[in-house]
Amino acid sequence: MAIATVVEQQKGTEETALITGSEAIAVACKLADVDVITAYPIRPYDTVMQYICKLVANGEMDCEYIVAEGEHSQFEIVKHASAAGARVFCGSSGVGWMYAMEALTVTPALRIPMIAMVGNRALDDPGAFGVEHNDALAVRDLGWQLVWVDNAQEALDTALIAYRVAEDRRIFLPCAISCDGAFLTHSQAVVKIPSQEQVNKFLPRYNRGDLLLHPDNPITVAPQGNEDWVMEIRRQNYAAIERSYGVIKEAYAEFEKIFGRSYGNPFFEEYMTSDADIVLMGMGTLSTPVKVAIRKMRDEGKKVGFVRMRWFRPFAAEDLAKCLSRFKAVGVIDRDYSMGSPYNSGVLATEVRTALYCGSGAKPPVLGFIAGLGGREVTVPDVEKITASVQQAAQGKTQPLTQWIGLRE
Amino acid sequence: MGRLFAIEIIYRGIFQKTLARNISRAIVLAAHKEGKPGISFGRYGDSPERNGIPAKSFAIVATDDVTLEEGMAKYEPKDVDITICVDDTLAKGVESWAWYGLQPVNKLLKPGGTLIVTSRLEADPIIAMCHRKETPYEMAILKAIPSFSGLWVYKDDHTDVRILGAIAKILPDLFSLKSVQAAITDEWHDAVKVTSAARAYEKLTTVTVKPTQGNPEVPFKFDLPKWHEMGEGIVIPSIPAGHKMEDPGTHATGGYKPDRNPTFKKFSTRTMRPVVDFDTCIKCTLCWLQCPDSCFDVTPEGLYDANMEACCGCGVCEAVCPVPNCVTMVNESSFHDNASQWVAWRKDKTNYKGWVQEKIKGHGERSHGFRYLGQYEEQVPEMLDIATKG
Amino acid sequence: MATVVKHDPTQALDPFKSVKKLPLEEYFTSGHRTCQGCESALLMKLMAKAAGPRTIVLGSTGCMYVANTTYYSTSWVVPWMHTQLGSSGSAALGTAAALKVLMRKGKMKNEPINVIAFCGDGGGADMGISGISATLTHPDYNCLILMYDNESYANTDIQLSGSTPWGANTTFSTPGKVKRIMHHRWKKNMAGMMAAGHPECKYVSTISMSYGLHAMNSMRKALAIGGPTFVHSLDPCPKGWDYDPYLSHEIGELAVNTGVWPLYEIENGVLRLTGRTQQIAAGKIRRQPVRDYLTKQGRFAHFTADDTDYFQSKIDEMWTKWLYPGVIPFRKEIEADSAPAE
Repeated sequence: MAIATVVEQQKGTEETALITGSEAIAVACKLADVDVITAYPIRPYDTVMQYICKLVANGEMDCEYIVAEGEHSQFEIVKHASAAGARVFCGSSGVGWMYAMEALTVTPALRIPMIAMVGNRALDDPGAFGVEHNDALAVRDLGWQLVWVDNAQEALDTALIAYRVAEDRRIFLPCAISCDGAFLTHSQAVVKIPSQEQVNKFLPRYNRGDLLLHPDNPITVAPQGNEDWVMEIRRQNYAAIERSYGVIKEAYAEFEKIFGRSYGNPFFEEYMTSDADIVLMGMGTLSTPVKVAIRKMRDEGKKVGFVRMRWFRPFAAEDLAKCLSRFKAVGVIDRDYSMGSPYNSGVLATEVRTALYCGSGAKPPVLGFIAGLGGREVTVPDVEKITASVQQAAQGKTQPLTQWIGLRE
Repeated sequence: MGRLFAIEIIYRGIFQKTLARNISRAIVLAAHKEGKPGISFGRYGDSPERNGIPAKSFAIVATDDVTLEEGMAKYEPKDVDITICVDDTLAKGVESWAWYGLQPVNKLLKPGGTLIVTSRLEADPIIAMCHRKETPYEMAILKAIPSFSGLWVYKDDHTDVRILGAIAKILPDLFSLKSVQAAITDEWHDAVKVTSAARAYEKLTTVTVKPTQGNPEVPFKFDLPKWHEMGEGIVIPSIPAGHKMEDPGTHATGGYKPDRNPTFKKFSTRTMRPVVDFDTCIKCTLCWLQCPDSCFDVTPEGLYDANMEACCGCGVCEAVCPVPNCVTMVNESSFHDNASQWVAWRKDKTNYKGWVQEKIKGHGERSHGFRYLGQYEEQVPEMLDIATKG
Repeated sequence: MATVVKHDPTQALDPFKSVKKLPLEEYFTSGHRTCQGCESALLMKLMAKAAGPRTIVLGSTGCMYVANTTYYSTSWVVPWMHTQLGSSGSAALGTAAALKVLMRKGKMKNEPINVIAFCGDGGGADMGISGISATLTHPDYNCLILMYDNESYANTDIQLSGSTPWGANTTFSTPGKVKRIMHHRWKKNMAGMMAAGHPECKYVSTISMSYGLHAMNSMRKALAIGGPTFVHSLDPCPKGWDYDPYLSHEIGELAVNTGVWPLYEIENGVLRLTGRTQQIAAGKIRRQPVRDYLTKQGRFAHFTADDTDYFQSKIDEMWTKWLYPGVIPFRKEIEADSAPAE
């Protein structure tokens, strides 16, 4: 690893390095032998492209590294490269992601297995660098697979898993890996770098097959459709995202076999939930203050657990409803907003309520908490405050369905 | 439940866009004079109109609002009281933008409904062009040069109001001539147009078309596949490469016949077709090269045979041909099939020569489009003469 | 050499000698839903013929998308893929990049494959211009960007574009009772702009379907020369321009002969006027008055004599005052230009 400080050599095959989340994904791209990569500057995701640039410059990676003139082109270029059979990588943040929205819309519709990193960033205005999840969430209805990671190791592993799932012929849908701005994109941690042999074993080569745009496979792709066709075409993509749930499970199982790291339930991580009365929920790096606070509260005898959503699309509704039905109350911390939504809650809280409402088991009350917007710190006292309210709800005391935490008021 | 009236207007895209809109608007306005509510709309699927490609407009009128809603609940009427066909060559069938397959011009007509056709021809040749229908229907010919008024400048030859007068005669329950005239006055403030409508009302006659009459051919159709039968990724196969042609007599092969889109044939767009005199052809390649529709098959001896399944009748081949009368555009109504002219020529050259002469003599003035400033104005008087005398 | 551009080989595409020596095969065939006499459809046919079977075509939204390829229906024999309205540059770049890297890594059979991305004037001269510009600065990707210019958003309903000529009637510039001329902008000089702004681009040309052989050979040159190239075709449009479809060919000729549409190519930085334009510039034939061109089109039917004179004066200016006639609008001297009163 020329770009990372090698900490120690391990059993010859696996290195360990001190790298950021962005760098971890760059390393995954190198290991996945990605063919075409497009870059365009916007903080904080662009760090991944800076690392990839060095990898290419140092001859450690062979790919077409193209600096586009805007995010729309950035995503369109790799979309077409993928249609022509190339493994591709791309990414953006905040309004950059939104600027690419037209390209983001057509990518799943065309069944393009693009992998993108979203360095989550607040949307303008005001221009802000800090983390908010509304950028990635903006594509949640379009056929994108969406996953949130909370540490560099998970970023690297998930990128490899994402390629395997997205490029599976049963799926052929894009996947966006969300990394919280600053907390993950800009902070270094010790990460195990798998060997090339392991990766080759885990990740088959991308085969566009019958959808390959090549003179040997003369096809017409995406002719304009009218009301006689569009429903059938949408239904096909539903079938693909429905299959994604099972393919993700297969991939994690295979990952554990080859790399020896297990993530338990791929869709969400449970922390100290076995004996918990109530649980908190959230996505991304707010898991750190939450876990710290939970350990503190556990010492005080409070039976609190945490459920961290990894895969937001596909949304493992049945698993989650089954899991949450074990608790007396649930507090969902959203690092996003959904203006005018039911009970003015965040996006995750609203989806958790939907999952529970249609689930078979018990339906504990779900409180929504808006916190950490624009990259504001979610503190341990914030988490304690949230927990207190959830405990009240657990005891049947009415609580506001949505509360803003860490707000000056 | 009150009564619902549905009227369909089949027209040539772009050329007759304004004409069709005027007619369907005026129908609703005339009905409004009698307190009948109605709506007028173009078929949305046809809306990216192309020159000549058949398109549709509809007018739906009812005796009350609740009944009107019954009509509006459908994307478009499934059966109509009157079909108006503003170009007689459309009688051969309609392949629209919005669906696949050839639709008989009389398809939506209710039993006993009326097909109004604007034409210089008599009823019989037009009945022969229409596909057979299981139930009898009426046909009314409105004597006229089909009104191809173009897009930006409207050639006001009164076709619109004459059709209104005809409707009043055919469907008095919809509206009276008096209401039509009132609506025309409001919309156009033109006494002559009012007279033209009255003239059409007085002169209109209809003939009954029996199920035994008309073109017996079953028009080609297309069945929509199920979602899981369709390719993923919005992918469809390309058109296969073409192949050599075979001479019907000598069975010698050569030349080139391109494969063609099997789901859209485009010939119902045609108002004229090229008649080719193979004896005078100098094989200059221009008709073949300049044809935007790749409709010319290259024969083994290097002649160019306009394929009538693909030709949309633009006339560019005639325009670029350097030999007088070698390629001549002839009105589509003078043909009864899409057979190959080259095959006919190979079978019997003398006979073919006679056929060519017969087809191209008096093949008639080109009726559509805009060729020079002031052309519309020049074309109007003859039509007005027909309109006012009837 | 500070930097080395790694060019992949292109196909050997020698000029077609004469119309009699053209290949008979069609790679864009019948059954598209374009207008009668559509010159852009003709461009597609001749482009495919010029490029041959080992070609990938990318098409951005517009007439040549919506009309040629309506779902379950296509006219393409060669592989074709839709791209977004403003994405012709990106589509060409992404496809060319994929071929380059996959062949380099041995993941795909190594052979030169033509990559052509087309766009209309709306997709090219308006929305897609920054993407096209970016692609023309990438010297090591072999691709052709072909702009078919029918001078309006003809598919959508004939709205004006940055490429619509001064004064033309469109659904966004319809003459009214008070304002006769609703469109006061002069047509963008797209080819000149692309050539002047992208020194690494080896080939830019303007073509007309009325000169089919010349146009095909120009496209073959653009595909064979290596690196990204740009070809701009003026396509008479019977729908939006409002004329009898059989005049398509003649109106294309008139555009060139009246000097409204100069034909030229810039090959490795060398400017060459071509075809009839060259003969006009050399004084071999006289430029026809623009009214011969304007009066055949319904979109100019509202023009007064003053409007026609103004149009003529702008064309004359292009020929007499521009540094290079019809190519680059830098004038030998700045002169006032006055539009006719409303």
